[in-house]
Amino acid sequence: MTISLAIDTSTSRTCVGIIDNGIMLWSGYQDGATAHGPALPALVAEAIANRTIDEVVVGMGPGPFTGLRIGIAFARSFALARNITVRGVCSLDAIAAQVDTHDFIVTVDARRKEVYWARYVDGVRVGHPAVSFPADVVGNQIHNDLFPDLAALVALQEEFAEPMYLRHPDAVATADR
Amino acid sequence: MSAPIVLGIETSCDETAVGIVRGRTLLANVIASSVEEHARFGGVVPEIASRAHLEAMQPTIEKALTDSKLSLKDIDAVAVTAGPGLVGALLVGVSAATGLALGLDKPIYAVNHLAAHISVDFLTHDKPLDPTIALLVSGGHSSLLQVEDITSSIIKLGATMDDAAGEAFDKIARVMKLGFPGGPAIDLLAQSGDAQAIDFPRGLTTSNDWQTRPFDFSFSGVKTAVARYLEATPDYAKANVAASFQEAIVDVLLLKSVAACKATGIDSLVIAGGVAANSRLRALATQRCDKAGIRLRIPSPGLCTDNGAMVAALGSLMVAANRAPSPIAFDADSSLPVGVISLS
Repeated sequence: MTISLAIDTSTSRTCVGIIDNGIMLWSGYQDGATAHGPALPALVAEAIANRTIDEVVVGMGPGPFTGLRIGIAFARSFALARNITVRGVCSLDAIAAQVDTHDFIVTVDARRKEVYWARYVDGVRVGHPAVSFPADVVGNQIHNDLFPDLAALVALQEEFAEPMYLRHPDAVATADR
Repeated sequence: MSAPIVLGIETSCDETAVGIVRGRTLLANVIASSVEEHARFGGVVPEIASRAHLEAMQPTIEKALTDSKLSLKDIDAVAVTAGPGLVGALLVGVSAATGLALGLDKPIYAVNHLAAHISVDFLTHDKPLDPTIALLVSGGHSSLLQVEDITSSIIKLGATMDDAAGEAFDKIARVMKLGFPGGPAIDLLAQSGDAQAIDFPRGLTTSNDWQTRPFDFSFSGVKTAVARYLEATPDYAKANVAASFQEAIVDVLLLKSVAACKATGIDSLVIAGGVAANSRLRALATQRCDKAGIRLRIPSPGLCTDNGAMVAALGSLMVAANRAPSPIAFDADSSLPVGVISLS
């Protein structure tokens, strides 16, 4: 029996859940693209009350950087404090798990008028997630208004050790100015 | 009860730092810096710093525990810099700290970076720290503060109107092609130069300024004066420029610090922040404070630049003073005023 603390901050929604072998025991969220900082500890404090947690599962994005890092930094040190494992998984996969069609695309806001996206065929992601302008993301069915499903997040097998930034930091070397 | 063990996390700029103290005893002080990644950009790039913080955070916490021969179970409280600083950078430390505090079920102290810089001095002696005047000088800050009680009352007497002192060092070093960060490079070069060679201006020191802005600073004038001098003097003596520029900055910092001590009747001065590592500032401060009968304290150079020990030290002082911990849910504040010593 494994009780998982699930955390995702890759979208404008801060999502926290407690999942016991696929069963959602507790879930909560708070909306706000810049609210992850205070929202996450408030939700987790409520979620873990009087519970023993066996593992932490965290969405590694892709997603806007600052919010994404809040979930990952928190998850890693919570796991360190409890001496339990932390697994990083793909947040887009946890969104896609809610869609039940043959061929579709999931997008989330990437700021700067771009989206992070991935295509799924028969429930399986095709290649690595990417970042593009929405006009360049072409498919029969595009889902752009969903948030990660935390039971699905915990069920994901493919692990990602590092956040999926998909963009380099903006900076110009002094020598190139 | 033995003194509380506090773990402090600092990520306000480009240093990922974790310190552990027991009471006023320093047990660990681990710093992972991303400064080399920023050097080719001539300054700190916030997104690069934030990524580096996330990467370095867990290893830095684990190294601090190893150095202190403690395990997380031994930690009584967590302290973290809540601001001021780069917001994306601060949030990595804040999130790591709240994760630790919730995981350990221990209190958290969300503290002010500037107050932490001053409080690190308390790790180096056993005398009361306050009341004191504090000169806080770094790449991001230049402030004169009246510290009545380091855990509850800090009054800002003055601050820079434009650049921070450390920023002026960086900019002049860039113009002179000395690299980034500029402080250590100018300090080293100045040691073989004549500080009286060129008379660079001292900002905000006219008699009118002493009436209206006695404790504020301005470093943009000296910066421009140096840049013009370099343009007008193709065969300038690098060491003399460095020494004279440094003297102009250090002189005005200390003139105003000593004046603040006299105006408030407080005969104690703490100098903290990265620029407090400057050797000329340390030497001239000793001379001038001796002459004025002011008790001077400057932390060792390694504790002047950003570090986790200072955050742990302030957390430890908060615990000792029975101050209430911060709520577990709080936001980083990039412009946290110095009067807000901890979030409540």
